[in-house]
Amino acid sequence: MSFSLEIKALGWAILAALASLGGAWLSASPIKAMAASSPVGLTEASPGITPSPQVTDEGRNFFGQSCSHCHGDDAHGDEGPDLHNLAISNARMAATIKKGIKGEMPSFAKKYDDHQIAELVSYLRSLR
Amino acid sequence: MWIDPTLWPKLHGASTHFPVALTMTAALCDGLGFVWPKSSPRKAQLHGAGYCTIILGALGTFPAVLSGLFMTKGEVWGHDVLLFHHLFVWPAFALLAGLGTWRALAGSSPSPRSFTVYMAVLLLTAGLMGAAGYWGGEMVVNS
Repeated sequence: MSFSLEIKALGWAILAALASLGGAWLSASPIKAMAASSPVGLTEASPGITPSPQVTDEGRNFFGQSCSHCHGDDAHGDEGPDLHNLAISNARMAATIKKGIKGEMPSFAKKYDDHQIAELVSYLRSLR
Repeated sequence: MWIDPTLWPKLHGASTHFPVALTMTAALCDGLGFVWPKSSPRKAQLHGAGYCTIILGALGTFPAVLSGLFMTKGEVWGHDVLLFHHLFVWPAFALLAGLGTWRALAGSSPSPRSFTVYMAVLLLTAGLMGAAGYWGGEMVVNS
């Protein structure tokens, strides 16, 4: 195996690495646009709850009581992250609120029932 | 078109283990082949296994990355555990694509000097893949 061939292979390897990474990052934008054009509905997380301004307002109240300490009054983040345009499903949001995140966020399963968590999710989904 | 919202997590979970396992196996086989006595035929067999597994592992990263991007709705970095996952995923993905390409083009018996550098990068990549897998698992456990 000649050394020059290995050097050529190295050139192609660097090109493949950069192309793969660039391709993946470039493909993220159209995927994000597709996801934004088909938002996940509230009913996915909570059957029986219809999205409405009242539901969202109720969720906002819960947010003020329990979440704004860490995520900021406007949910743009403080100690905790910004909650605008979350790229996760309603079901995952509800599960995170219920179970918390180990070492980072407490569980709210005892404080809020499924209906209240769905209202909170409705509010979070309205943050654009 | 309606798509089951749990489809992408399932596909990501199914596809992501192949490149992780194949990269670890490639590192193990090539690592053993590297220190194995030259006189033994086992040395060539180990390098042959390392050659196949690194190329398959590199090819396997593409469906894993694509399903992950769909799962996170195009989130390249994210925050918290997802950010940690991505901090290891992206360098591992780029290195693995490079390693697979180099190995495929440089052949199954490169020079010892080049192969030493290749082994160092392969071990680094295997470590990054392991860390990415760990943080990916943390997301599953904590969600």
